[in-house]
Amino acid sequence: MTVTVNILLVDDDPAENVIMRALMRKVPNVDVKLHYVETVEAALNFIRAGEPRLDMILMDNRLHPQADFRETVPELRQNGYIGPIGVISSSIADAYFQNIDDYGVDFRIDKSELDPTAIGFIIQEFVDKGMGTFQ
Amino acid sequence: MAALSPHHRRYDFECDLDKALNRVDFFRLFHGTALRFGFEHFCVIQLGADQEGGSLSSKLVLHDLSAGLAETYDKRHRFHESDVAKSLYRSAIPTVWRAGDLPVELGDGATHSLLTQLGFELAAVVPVQATSGARHAVIYLGDNNDIHRQQHMELCYETACVFDYFSRAVLSIKTGTGLTPRETEILRWISYGKTASEIALIVSVSEHTVNSHTATILKKLDVVNRTQMVAKAIREQIIQ
Repeated sequence: MTVTVNILLVDDDPAENVIMRALMRKVPNVDVKLHYVETVEAALNFIRAGEPRLDMILMDNRLHPQADFRETVPELRQNGYIGPIGVISSSIADAYFQNIDDYGVDFRIDKSELDPTAIGFIIQEFVDKGMGTFQ
Repeated sequence: MAALSPHHRRYDFECDLDKALNRVDFFRLFHGTALRFGFEHFCVIQLGADQEGGSLSSKLVLHDLSAGLAETYDKRHRFHESDVAKSLYRSAIPTVWRAGDLPVELGDGATHSLLTQLGFELAAVVPVQATSGARHAVIYLGDNNDIHRQQHMELCYETACVFDYFSRAVLSIKTGTGLTPRETEILRWISYGKTASEIALIVSVSEHTVNSHTATILKKLDVVNRTQMVAKAIREQIIQ
């Protein structure tokens, strides 16, 4: 049985939305509803609206006007979002990526590593749909 | 995690291994290895000391199979009766399985090919061991025809390295290990009667993170629930 998962992508490059949407369609056995906003402010508005209830947020590491996830993710957390947050970056080699836990980030992933299998894994790992197959 | 010495040769993948923090990072490493050697999926399974029953899904400790695949497999087949599972108790030498190979006689006249059951063309199985002695195996699955000698050897070596880091960083949380400052903080909020979602709000992390820290604290303190956790923490003066 296919489950539905609501994911919010926060990325200031609309092309990433197109790419991500194509990837999400290829995740087997999961119907991913991808929602897209360009800024943290818009993400907060989306969360405050309450509908649909988000299962996960994927954030681009660098979002103007903030510097990187060390500023954006704490802002989401301070506004009461307690769902999983993953940070996507074109490189996760910088030393500050070793401290994701301190900033309320659940996981980090390199853009080049994001394929349907990776998305499927992340959903199984973080989204509890109470169906046995989702832990 | 204790640093290894240069004697533990990790070649050019040392940097990635040293940086891996959590299950997603180890997914990235195993999945990346699978792709580099022409496979599509991996699964890390735990093996008991003796050949025993138990479903495939209950043996998986980390994998990237599609949602529900292992559960569907378990409804139709018994993993411990498969050729791959049986071979793991016959020898610790890595194995390669091709869909076109002649079936392996399993002794009772039956042949239960894991590849056929899962619907892949090629599997490479690398038995690995944690420093605790716990036996595991990493199974790579894909649709190539075969893997060449040099590639196979590299795959086995890399797998041994990635699994070693995975087992030390994720699998082997030992009783008696000291709590991290973040774990102590969460323990203190639990002792004040806060729920996981309340603690997530207070500490500014996800509820998932709070639950995973709580599971680690349970293991480290060798207790079975939050009540016993708090009682023991107070008794041992971890919190006041």
